[in-house]
Amino acid sequence: MRLARNVVSFTRRAARQYNRARSSTRDLFVDLYSNALAGACVVMIVASLVVALRGEIAARNIGGTTLVAAHWQVVPAGIVWMLLTYLALVGVVVLARRLGPVTVGQAEGAWWLPLPVDRRPMVLPSFLRRLVAVGAVASVAYVPFSLLTALDRSPWDHANSAVIFGGASIVAVIGAAALQLTSAAGALRATILLGLIPVAVLPFLGFSMWPLILVLSLAAVLLAYVVPRVGDVRGVELQRGGAVSGHAAASIFFIDMNELRRSLVAAPSTRVSRRGSRYYGRPTRRPLTAVIRADVVAFLRLQPPPTAALVWLGLCVSITLITPALPVFLQLTVTLIAGCLVTAGTGTIARRTAVIPELDALLPVSPVLVRCSRMIMPASAMAAWMGALTGTLVVLGAGTPFLVLLGVLAGLGMGAGAARAATRPATDWTTPPVETPFGSVPRDQVSSLLRGTDMTVLSMAPLLLTLYLDTVHPWLLLAQITASITAITVQASTPSAR
Amino acid sequence: MGDVLEADGLLVGYVGTPVCGEVSLGLASGEVLAVVGFNGAGKSTVVRTLAGRQDPLAGDVRVHGLPVMPDAVEFRRQVAAVFDEDVFFPSLTVREHLLLVARGHSVSSPEEAVDAELKFFGIADRAHAVPDALSSGQRRRLLLAAGFIRPSSLLFLDEPEQRLDPVMRDALSRRIQGCADAGTTVVLVTHDPRLLVQTATACLVIDETVKPVSTERGAQIIAGA
Repeated sequence: MRLARNVVSFTRRAARQYNRARSSTRDLFVDLYSNALAGACVVMIVASLVVALRGEIAARNIGGTTLVAAHWQVVPAGIVWMLLTYLALVGVVVLARRLGPVTVGQAEGAWWLPLPVDRRPMVLPSFLRRLVAVGAVASVAYVPFSLLTALDRSPWDHANSAVIFGGASIVAVIGAAALQLTSAAGALRATILLGLIPVAVLPFLGFSMWPLILVLSLAAVLLAYVVPRVGDVRGVELQRGGAVSGHAAASIFFIDMNELRRSLVAAPSTRVSRRGSRYYGRPTRRPLTAVIRADVVAFLRLQPPPTAALVWLGLCVSITLITPALPVFLQLTVTLIAGCLVTAGTGTIARRTAVIPELDALLPVSPVLVRCSRMIMPASAMAAWMGALTGTLVVLGAGTPFLVLLGVLAGLGMGAGAARAATRPATDWTTPPVETPFGSVPRDQVSSLLRGTDMTVLSMAPLLLTLYLDTVHPWLLLAQITASITAITVQASTPSAR
Repeated sequence: MGDVLEADGLLVGYVGTPVCGEVSLGLASGEVLAVVGFNGAGKSTVVRTLAGRQDPLAGDVRVHGLPVMPDAVEFRRQVAAVFDEDVFFPSLTVREHLLLVARGHSVSSPEEAVDAELKFFGIADRAHAVPDALSSGQRRRLLLAAGFIRPSSLLFLDEPEQRLDPVMRDALSRRIQGCADAGTTVVLVTHDPRLLVQTATACLVIDETVKPVSTERGAQIIAGA
């Protein structure tokens, strides 16, 4: 143990000396200043948005304009907020498990892990730092949610709920660490996910110390189980988590959202899928048909399960069923955000192929047709998702059955948006940056980040307007057709930037 | 069968598909096994599996009579491996990297041991440079020095001659012989017939069927004869 501590402190000391020699006090001051300024800007923007939304929610007219017929609004708001809190905690577990949470970096994996010493001092400090960071970030992130979902609470109540949620997030991360300790994690995973249900209720129990004490006690008990065992996490697992975390951190540093998605998507299954084999095996003589079949089969085999898409679908529907009703603006915003996120999820295959554009260049097919082929499956998936969403809303009393047609058309355009986002250019770091209120950002970064999302939002706009107006005007149908065709045409005609 | 490394019916590969035939071998203390074969034959996969870096598809590997447990402290104490993993701490110098390994393995007089390795591998003049400032060959020397500075009873080397000049290859050959004379068992993947002939006491050809051959025959296979 002592030897391991010496190894760690030796490496850290050398790293500190090296970094001190390379950075000046001025650099430190500039970093602090620009980060504080950017942070303050973000806080101000979020605070003004939250205050405006609180005003809107406070002034809502119960039984007034909503997306669905008022008599369907039977889900108590509190239940939905608890469900959302639970889903957020599940998200923390899933993300933490993907990123580690007990990890070592590449160099540490190569130089520390082969040493014949207890690995606990090598992995424990960074794990504990991560827990503190997760608790702090989760607490801060919960404040706007608390402010919007509980208007009648005092500032102390909000602070208390936020701290409880921070504690619950720490519990979720420790749960993810416990999953690293076992190779047969199925039962433990189910236990953790079930155990988080009562934990998700704690932030809603009003101002009282005992929910906080309860969640911190739970964290302490789990920590007492995990901490003595963190040294037993397998070396390959430590390195896997470190590689994913490093990839994700680098993607965030370089503001590359596609790379971030690549890093976080689950590793491809080692089991060879036979899905679509018969379709793929049918004889064909036309290269375009071969390309289309390859794209369809790749999607069928490699696309992750649609769990997230179904969760977002459920959320979009349940948000319209809340009583007292939320403002229509908020319901539409949730639908828009869900649409954008689900769309991005369908771009997995396009993102993978975007990394190796040389393969497309080898095909004896026009690049425009290749891009169209790559849109087929995202567009089909999004058409199905939007069809399901609008169909459900129609059943619940929103608009007329023509709304489903609009939804399917919007989905086709959104699929084009998914393919467009997947081929967005990497940031050009060679050109001078542009000054913004958030500090310097690389030139063309914003347009690069918006690429794909622009067409997704454009495709959804007529549909959202229809939902708002609660009727399908012929001109809105025309607008939807135009928007979707525009999205598809733009994607088909824009060369891949990579 | 040997008492240091034993493999019985070992099948290695990826996604359930073997990359070569079954491997069975036994190595005693001080033996040097050269693993040869064409590119893609599965040499590195075999050695990585023997070293516990990946799980076997089938079969059994034992080190000192115990199953391979790469996370066990005793296994890490006994087994050293130098693969082509060019990963370093960006903030540690060459000397500090070697000190880290020497201290971590409780080498007596680590400072002197580091000086000796730096001198042997010809990187003493780069001792205070960070790895980013080294040439590709110098980084390879640093990795090899890290593999040799620590005590081990079993040493895996995956194409150690890569990126080394002829003089350094000869020195490496002498070093491997020295290790074997001191009782260390060495498993060596190589494409260098000279290194094979100078060091190996046994040779294994990896192909669809894995078979032991004489070291001279192994050298001829590498040379394409």
